[in-house]
Amino acid sequence: MNVELTELTRKFGHTQAVAGVTLQAGAGVFGLLGPNGAGKTSLLRMMATVLPPTSGTLRLLGRDPGGYGPRREIRRRLGYLPQNLGYYPGFTVYDFVEYFALLKDMPPGQVPSAVATAIEQVGLGDKARIKLRTLSGGMLRRVGIAQAIVNQPELLLLDEPTAGLDPEQRVAFRALLREFGERATVIVSTHLVEDVAAACSEVTLMDSGAIVFHGTPDELIAQGEGSGAAGDAPLERGYSAILAAARSGVAARS
Amino acid sequence: MTCGDDLTGGYRDAGPAPDDVDLDRVWLGVAAQVWRRQPGPAERMAGRLLRSPGLARALVTTPSLLLGWVIATVVILLAGVGFTLGTGTPWVALLAPGIAAAGIAYAYGPGIDPAWELSQSMAVSDRMVLLVRALAVFGLNAALGLAASAASGAAAAVTFGWLVPMTAVCALALAVATVTRSPNVGVAAGSAGWVIALLASQAAEGRFTAAITDSFLVLPYLAFAAGCGAVVLFATRIPRGSS
Repeated sequence: MNVELTELTRKFGHTQAVAGVTLQAGAGVFGLLGPNGAGKTSLLRMMATVLPPTSGTLRLLGRDPGGYGPRREIRRRLGYLPQNLGYYPGFTVYDFVEYFALLKDMPPGQVPSAVATAIEQVGLGDKARIKLRTLSGGMLRRVGIAQAIVNQPELLLLDEPTAGLDPEQRVAFRALLREFGERATVIVSTHLVEDVAAACSEVTLMDSGAIVFHGTPDELIAQGEGSGAAGDAPLERGYSAILAAARSGVAARS
Repeated sequence: MTCGDDLTGGYRDAGPAPDDVDLDRVWLGVAAQVWRRQPGPAERMAGRLLRSPGLARALVTTPSLLLGWVIATVVILLAGVGFTLGTGTPWVALLAPGIAAAGIAYAYGPGIDPAWELSQSMAVSDRMVLLVRALAVFGLNAALGLAASAASGAAAAVTFGWLVPMTAVCALALAVATVTRSPNVGVAAGSAGWVIALLASQAAEGRFTAAITDSFLVLPYLAFAAGCGAVVLFATRIPRGSS
């Protein structure tokens, strides 16, 4: 298993962002769904070793990220696209991807070809020498994806990766996700159920910091059948039905 | 159409490519060479010294080492030279600690380093990036301050005296910026700390310059800097209990 989380929690002051999440993931594409404030980003940041958990157990790629050596090894094999990608406006696309390839400790000799491959994979070959300040939001998102995949990661964590992408780019991106999912663990946080339907083999639904559903997209769809839940697509109805059930359960307990 | 398509299209008149040639692979090899960035002399030297190309790249992208910052620092110190020569008060020595503290606080952190969030997930340790950048900013500011002091004869006697207080003020700014995760708060704390030190000198001995000329202050400054350094190391430690 590349990701093993046991009773993972994260608090910010009195706010519990992640509440006792237990999850295991091997190779494949995993969708992390949930409304705003559900704890998806906090969970992803903990898996990216950016944010330490308040309690619980976290093992990534068979290693304990609490120690310096194992964490460095995890980070060498990790790809992470944060929700808000900061960038240096004066950098070119190539410079930016190369910068993070170097920070990922890739052997310098391998960096140029790895950077060129990543840039081509996200379809920005004709923009490689263009400065980031001139790119559109969708193109910047693709630059972010390129830096995440430049080291051919074994664990790829993507927070809202399709935000700003046009429909054609989304289709290409989902194909890329499926390709990575054949050999790596890809976890995609999104609020777009169509991304999950098209690319994910498993889906986890979070609400109020806790996992309220884990299964295949078909199982999620089945949850919505005959429930009368709101939604234009079967997956959306399943999503709404589970959230409604989880929230009524919370209300009943409180 | 991709650049690879352009490349293969350009050779179409020469006949079909042999079956065993992977043109995509050929294109990637060409692209890697064409797009490749040549590191500047400073980055090459830093790479050799630090034995890490990633750390060297992080160093040359330090926000407060970029050209605009360096020019602003030079301008302020030149103004200090002018005031020193005009008034006899060692303004360079009084300004330098605050300038360096601001540079160090703005070397790294959320809102200042655009890629700070990403940097935290990288194999090259963010603590190393922080410390190397802080050292580089301090070194550059110290060198500029020394040059400015040397240019202003009135400050010659205190040329080295302000290096110790500068260390303390920079350490304070860095510690506060690191703990609060706000470079602006770090700058405010460093500046406020230095102003308080100057005002205290004025109140105790009737002159601002006592803060940089009194030798009995050296040990307290160094102890304070060491304490702030310990705070930085503690704040950037590897959190236990994460697994």
